Amino acid sequence: MTSVLKPTLARCLWTAPAFAALAVLLTTIARATFGMTPVLQEDTLLTVSYIAGGIGFIVGIGGFDYWWTWMAGGVLDPHDHSTHGAKSWRDYFLFNTDHKVIGIQYIVFTFVMFLVGGMFAEVFRSELAKPGQQVLTNEQYNAMISQHGTIMIFVFLVPIFAGIGNYVIPLMLGAADMAFPRLNAVSFWLLPVAAFTLLSSFAFGSFDGGWTGYPTLSEQSPFGMTLYQLGIQLAGASSIATAVNFLATIITMRAPGMTLFRMPLLVWANLATSALVVAATPFIAGAQFMSMFDREMGTHFFTMGGGGDTLVYQHIFWFYSHPAVYIMVLPGFGIISEVIATHARKPVFGYRAVAFSSAGIAVLGFSVWAHHMFASGMQSWLRVPIMLATLLIAVPTGIKIFSWLGTLWDGVIRMTTANLFAIGFIFTFVIGGLSGVMLAVIPFDVSITNSYFIVAHFHYVLFGGSIMTIYAGLYHWYPKVTGRMYNEKLGRWHFWLTFVFMNLTFFPMHYQGLLGMPRRVADYAPQFEWSNTLISISAFILGASTLIFVYNLIHSARHGKVAGDNPWGGLTLEWALSSPPPTFNFPATPRVIGGPYRYGEEGARHAIVPEPEPAVVEKTYAAAGDQA
Amino acid sequence: MKPIKVLPLTIIGTLVGAIVSAVLIVTVTLPEQASVQAVAIDNLYVYMLGFSGVIFGIVTLFLIVAVFRFRARPNDTREGAPVHGITWLEVVWTIIPFIIVTACAYGGFVVLNDGNVEAQARTSGQVVHIEAYQFGWKYDYLAKNVDLTQQADLVLPVGEAVFFELTTKDVIHSFWVPAWRMQMNATPGQVNTTSTTPSKVGTYEIVCAFLCGVGHTGMNSSIEGSIIPRVRVVTRAEFDTWVAEQKAAAEQQGQTATTQTTDGSVA
Ligand SMILES: [Cu+2]
Repeated sequence: MTSVLKPTLARCLWTAPAFAALAVLLTTIARATFGMTPVLQEDTLLTVSYIAGGIGFIVGIGGFDYWWTWMAGGVLDPHDHSTHGAKSWRDYFLFNTDHKVIGIQYIVFTFVMFLVGGMFAEVFRSELAKPGQQVLTNEQYNAMISQHGTIMIFVFLVPIFAGIGNYVIPLMLGAADMAFPRLNAVSFWLLPVAAFTLLSSFAFGSFDGGWTGYPTLSEQSPFGMTLYQLGIQLAGASSIATAVNFLATIITMRAPGMTLFRMPLLVWANLATSALVVAATPFIAGAQFMSMFDREMGTHFFTMGGGGDTLVYQHIFWFYSHPAVYIMVLPGFGIISEVIATHARKPVFGYRAVAFSSAGIAVLGFSVWAHHMFASGMQSWLRVPIMLATLLIAVPTGIKIFSWLGTLWDGVIRMTTANLFAIGFIFTFVIGGLSGVMLAVIPFDVSITNSYFIVAHFHYVLFGGSIMTIYAGLYHWYPKVTGRMYNEKLGRWHFWLTFVFMNLTFFPMHYQGLLGMPRRVADYAPQFEWSNTLISISAFILGASTLIFVYNLIHSARHGKVAGDNPWGGLTLEWALSSPPPTFNFPATPRVIGGPYRYGEEGARHAIVPEPEPAVVEKTYAAAGDQA
Repeated sequence: MKPIKVLPLTIIGTLVGAIVSAVLIVTVTLPEQASVQAVAIDNLYVYMLGFSGVIFGIVTLFLIVAVFRFRARPNDTREGAPVHGITWLEVVWTIIPFIIVTACAYGGFVVLNDGNVEAQARTSGQVVHIEAYQFGWKYDYLAKNVDLTQQADLVLPVGEAVFFELTTKDVIHSFWVPAWRMQMNATPGQVNTTSTTPSKVGTYEIVCAFLCGVGHTGMNSSIEGSIIPRVRVVTRAEFDTWVAEQKAAAEQQGQTATTQTTDGSVA
């Protein structure tokens, strides 16, 4: 019986319903007291159940146990590390404060969500394979495309980078953990709640407004739309909490000697990204709150009558969602710098320029949101400045691309799977970047906006960009995380299938858009038949190639060759540790003595990890809960 | 191994990129250019595709050459050159993209201003009011002259500027005529305006480009069996005849000031 009282998923099974029931009870009492009819209003009760149930889940898993004990004046042992580190696979299903465990929890969970979101894409691609409608009704089709976009962005692309950062960044900094380990764990556990909220909306008609959820269409949607709005807020809360954690960690927990310009570029990228997340995410949370209030509480933020304005939603939405593109791609840029430098055995070419370009993109990223709205009928004066700012972003992005080329040039390029993905990424991302430059130019954008050209562009950025970097990073750090090598042969198959069919899936979409095929449609003119059939077949193979990756990682974790501590000869600090790293990372605080990419210099070191001193006097901190 | 000369490689990359762009421009036949603006926008597209192709060609060529030339051999323990950067080169590759995007901005600016016949169209051209709804378009034009009834297609005279006023009854729609390279949202609660100058007689598709709900797919005249109206551009003489017919038909029915819906709703 004690297992339902201890912080486990089993405890969630009763805490979440209990919280939901309590919320329903209180709401019903309130409605009855104020004479609202009907007393039992389905949408209202469902909304409060989801909110309270989500909190109940976090309570059940143990997210508040420590803080609750502290608030209640209980005795806390600051050296209690019982929730830190994983001894068996079961520990990955528990509340854990070890950044490495959380990193794996993030990566595995978000990757499962990637497969789910990918399945939705395969379903609607099967509808699009032939003209006419065979597989899905219009309602189901709209639900599929909306779920695909929302799941991919909010519970895959944004958080998986938080997962990779979680694992790698404290190691790179020479830190024992993230700055706020408990907050870190809570950030992770918010994600399953967000994903459940989004996916369970299928039971309530799902949502049908695309991933953008624009009013006034969202006001007509079934209850599932409220769950979309709630799900995004939960994922957003997770994202903000993680970003705060990264900022605190990177700013305050660098090892002695780790100056800003000795930080690995992944850390730089993460610093810029976290600043973006903290500043931008509240905007989408606000937009979704207001939109949800419009639906559930009868407010008029964005409704047509009553003084609301739908254009305001678009502005607020994109004020987050454009920076979000950089949130989903800047950490990937960081990964590429690490992977290319390590596998080409050369220092990153123009380190400072690459670091500053991340910061530049983060700042400029806030001045371009309205390029999604050139045809929306917004203030026309705003269009030209936004066009100029958007074009300007190509400059720091170009610096990065050329720097990676400069890094590869004259290197000794090892064609590992990780590096193949990094090199393939440069190719595909350049295409996405160039179509982005074209789309920034107002007259061209207005002539084809909302067409498949746009779909092609952002898939080249998010698949050809983000996902390629994710694969590069996962292959690169796989031996560090598991202590074993992945199978290179399978990795190469995975790369070539992904690369070829990614291009065959998304490149023809440019053509479709230019010829006048709108996005988000379940049927099309006969002239688009062959291109759609080609795209659908390619998309199925692309999806199937993911299974090779999954098999490779699972199988190699057991049966792969033992990797050793530093199979790639990396110089950054994570490679100075055993694979997998010990629970508390470094035996003694490392000392950083040089830059992170001193490849090719005889005997060059980035940092020294001293042997632990035999008698370290442990400094004890009075925990807040201790008796004074 | 002889060191690779960077400048010749850049020139080859430029040529390769130009060829890639040329192939794309020739093979992808864009929709018919049925407005004055379409010509300018297509030229802008070709102009930008040219730049894009060149950048793509250079990056790809360097990437491929690097991979083949600097590839590690089996059991290769060499390390790369400890070069941390070359300042002049970094300056060059910051300035060149800057020049290219400035060129794109300039091109965009010129087309934006030249194509902007809105002010002129508003006063002297045909003013067409379109109300979007789920799931169709309702036209109301020649406002003070004639009320059009039973009109299916949007009939307009060739060579004269048209000024559109777009509104919506319910959600966001987007009025897109690919042959005109013209699109504008119909945004709830406001009147959006845009304009174009049809330059070719013919019938052109109208597409709702914005997800507007369950019938969005069907709000596209190019889909087989669609009952969504098209644009029919005719000569001035034909247009006058057509207007007279509409007028007569309206008087015959004894109707006044009614506009009829061209229903494109999908069952
Ligand atoms: Cu529509």
